[in-house]
Amino acid sequence: MTFRKKMLTATALSALMATAAQAEVTVLGWPGGPEEEALRAVTEIYNAKDDVAEENKVELLFFSRDGFFDKLQADLAAGSDAFDVNLLATYSIGRYAPYMEPITLSGEAEGVFGDTVLSTMQFEGAQYGVPTDLSMHFLFFRSDLMEELMGDEDAKATYAAISEEYLGTAMEPVAPDEMTWEDFAATALYFSRSVNPDSPTRYGTVLQMKNLLFNMMVFQSLPRAYGADWMDADGNITVDSEAYRTGLEMYKMLYDAGATPTDSLSYEFPEANAAFTSGQVAMMVQWNGASGALTGAESAPMTADVTDSVAPPTGPEGRFTHIHGLGLGLNKNAQNPDGAKAFLEWLSTEEAAVAYATAGGAPGLTGTAIEAVAEARPDLVPLGEFASNYGYVMNGATGANALSIYELQAQEFTGYWGDTQSLDEALSAAEAGMADLLK
Amino acid sequence: MRIASLIRWIVFALAAFILNFPVIATLITSFKSNAEISRNPGLCIREPTLANYATVFDPAGRFDVWQFLGNSLTAALIGTILPIALCFPAAWAMARRGVGMNVLFPAAVNLRALPLIVFAIPLYLMYQTLGLLDTKLGLGLILAVVNIPIALLILTNTVRELPYELEEAARMDGASMATLLFRIVLPMCRPAIVTVFIFGFITAWNEFLFGLMLTTRDAVPITVGASFFFASGGGGVQWGVAAAIIMVSAAPPVLLGLVMYRHIGGSMTGGAVKG
Amino acid sequence: MSLSQRSENAILTAPLVLFLLALLGFPTVLDVIYSLSDVSFETLRAPTFTGLDNFRAVLADPDFWQATWFSLKFAVLTSVAECVLGLALAIYFSPILRRAPWMLAILIMPMIIAPAMMGLMYRLVLHEFIGPLPNYLYNWFGVSYGFLTAQNVFKTIFVIETLQWTPFALLLFHMAYESIPEDIREAASVDGTRGWRLLTRIELPLMLPTLGVALFIRFIDGFRVFDNIWTLTGTGPGGSTTSLSIYIYVAFFRSGEIGQAIAASMILFAAAFLVLFVAARRGRGKETA
Repeated sequence: MTFRKKMLTATALSALMATAAQAEVTVLGWPGGPEEEALRAVTEIYNAKDDVAEENKVELLFFSRDGFFDKLQADLAAGSDAFDVNLLATYSIGRYAPYMEPITLSGEAEGVFGDTVLSTMQFEGAQYGVPTDLSMHFLFFRSDLMEELMGDEDAKATYAAISEEYLGTAMEPVAPDEMTWEDFAATALYFSRSVNPDSPTRYGTVLQMKNLLFNMMVFQSLPRAYGADWMDADGNITVDSEAYRTGLEMYKMLYDAGATPTDSLSYEFPEANAAFTSGQVAMMVQWNGASGALTGAESAPMTADVTDSVAPPTGPEGRFTHIHGLGLGLNKNAQNPDGAKAFLEWLSTEEAAVAYATAGGAPGLTGTAIEAVAEARPDLVPLGEFASNYGYVMNGATGANALSIYELQAQEFTGYWGDTQSLDEALSAAEAGMADLLK
Repeated sequence: MRIASLIRWIVFALAAFILNFPVIATLITSFKSNAEISRNPGLCIREPTLANYATVFDPAGRFDVWQFLGNSLTAALIGTILPIALCFPAAWAMARRGVGMNVLFPAAVNLRALPLIVFAIPLYLMYQTLGLLDTKLGLGLILAVVNIPIALLILTNTVRELPYELEEAARMDGASMATLLFRIVLPMCRPAIVTVFIFGFITAWNEFLFGLMLTTRDAVPITVGASFFFASGGGGVQWGVAAAIIMVSAAPPVLLGLVMYRHIGGSMTGGAVKG
Repeated sequence: MSLSQRSENAILTAPLVLFLLALLGFPTVLDVIYSLSDVSFETLRAPTFTGLDNFRAVLADPDFWQATWFSLKFAVLTSVAECVLGLALAIYFSPILRRAPWMLAILIMPMIIAPAMMGLMYRLVLHEFIGPLPNYLYNWFGVSYGFLTAQNVFKTIFVIETLQWTPFALLLFHMAYESIPEDIREAASVDGTRGWRLLTRIELPLMLPTLGVALFIRFIDGFRVFDNIWTLTGTGPGGSTTSLSIYIYVAFFRSGEIGQAIAASMILFAAAFLVLFVAARRGRGKETA
């Protein structure tokens, strides 16, 4: 073979390999959890289909979970074509929309997911993703302890005395599903040893107060129950409100009274779960994603059997749970946009959604789709129900700066809880920053 | 005398324990099941298990830990050897002749004070154009930049402390620059070079941010790969598996330290002063 | 010997200079442009020139000064603590390390663990219910000490950093101590200089350059601390553990204020350069004197 021929062959070969690599659909997913398992399962089903051409088969890709969104942002902004389909979330949709293309869902999508859930993947009226997983908050509680409290006259007397001292009115214990946030606070205090030396647990609740944007989502439902919002219809920032004050003060009161672990200011998801499963905490508001970990005999050997969950407590303005969705959407620079679109369209069919749910994912489903998985995944039934009854998104929380607003709130609110600034300072700083970000 | 020596050993053991406490706690956690971690937070294990390590090394698992380790090794070696090669001649020129002490030395050493993250985006764009994204070479090159300051600082300092007489004698004999550098100076610098190698290797091995930003699939280093194993349902941390992967990813630099320790300590006495 | 000293010098330093230019030349130019522009992730390829606005905004940002103060305080305290401890231990343990050199490997183990993972492990070790330390504190003394409350968090990360990096100083001092020629010690002991006097009059002065290097490296590393704090507490309650590196990272990625983040690092680079420039000048001045 002459040198020239060799070169030609090499070029031809590399061209061939390049097309082979390009023709696949690369999907960037959320690593390490049930989302990953479910995505692997549906991908397998999709790739096994006869009508999916060889060059449109789906290949999965995962990034590190630490710094996932920072890396994704750098990739998208630089116009990376390393993936065709990528993860997106409700709170970051405004940030990533400029680098993505709206997509068309299957005709079944509306019946499978329902409007509320579909809207978690919309930005400025366009559908940017298939909603794969729905995240919200549940009130997890120890059913054994709650029953004991409800049936014990002495305990009720102590409970009344404690609530009178800390909250100003003598209260009676109520079942978790009927709790207001005031009841939640009273119960948390009752089950804390620093308040009630006879408490069976060390702490009544565990609040996640680390300076972290996700913790603000958990917190948000409390002021929301008192009518809080980020801005009103005219675009005025309304964070400096009675509702936010009530919520922030309640957290602070519980923290100062020792109703939540001393180190709560550094707690996030795993720390809170670890505290709860140690058996030393009576109840907590936590992500629905914790269900498996909190009720599995393997991961929670001491508390799994006596752990139950309901929607978060209610307030004067109603009962609320913050919702956001994870989903998959189309990269503007995709190398194989047609293959990617075909996969996304299929992903929004009932067949795919049911398979995804059965394999461990947590999609918000309605209609026949939820009936199909109800037996295998009973925990998904309340998910869809809570989402439509109690789900909310703050006004402005899908905008381009939503993430920055959560970060700002985390910074200012934790400063108040940690005594580095006053409530007024925290709220006025939050208001000023939010006005800037929501402009 | 014997009592003093006994006390010294006790203090040594105590210091070793306290300094290594997080390492010991991590090691112990890596042998506990999740159930035991939540039930028994202490330092003794009731039912030791290798399950966490099995998860990490599961050949049918979702991620290939060997590939991550291999990527880290290649990138870290590039990122350690290159700075030594580049800095050794420069360090000699700086220490002996004051070359570049006004600008080059402070500027290069200063790089260590900078959060290199500010170079992340421009580097990303540059690597994208050059085709260095997601390659071990690309990662290794930037790790070399990370290690240049400390290599330059330690080597310059070392050369400055070397006795001058030997070099002078060699010059008199008409030795060339290369002979002087590599036959006379280099052997005397060996302990310092080993030290720079070890420090540099550890730094390069443990780097996270560039590993995250500049790799995607083929060149992912272990620090980034490790976090694939941490997460369990909904963003939580599987403490046992996390502990196991931390131990696995720390093993190569620990082994390196064990192999190299003899070059750090005693040999310094021999080499440097005999002249 | 055919080469002039001038061209020799050029050959000796050229590889380093060229390498740095090749890797950081373009990024530096682009960073300078960014620092003078209004730029976000969306406008990476089309920044708008705004002059010195970013620098003004950074200098007027109280959070920037708070982060600078945090980093300075952290760097001074940890570098001094690490060097004092490292020096004391290196000398005190030298008989042990001379007899059993592999013991050194045990002492330097902590610095081998990636700081990011160290931070993560402390989340476990310090956890009130699953961490060994609080567990023993509670069982033996009945206390629930909040290691990471807004009031204690600085002390805790100070200890964490010091525990991890004292071995670094120890290693450098061990090398310096062992490289002191035996005949110097012998000569001193003939003169009757022993023990404490030998240490303070003869050995410590000989180790002074190493002390300088160790302090300097640890100061810089303490100043730019990122990984362990980031994984352990993030920016901390109310931003109380925001080091300058964390400030810059957050501005860069989370707030998308790329121009400001780069402006902040340029200010940092300029300040550090000035310090080193002066230090190098003075060092040279002494040499020639």
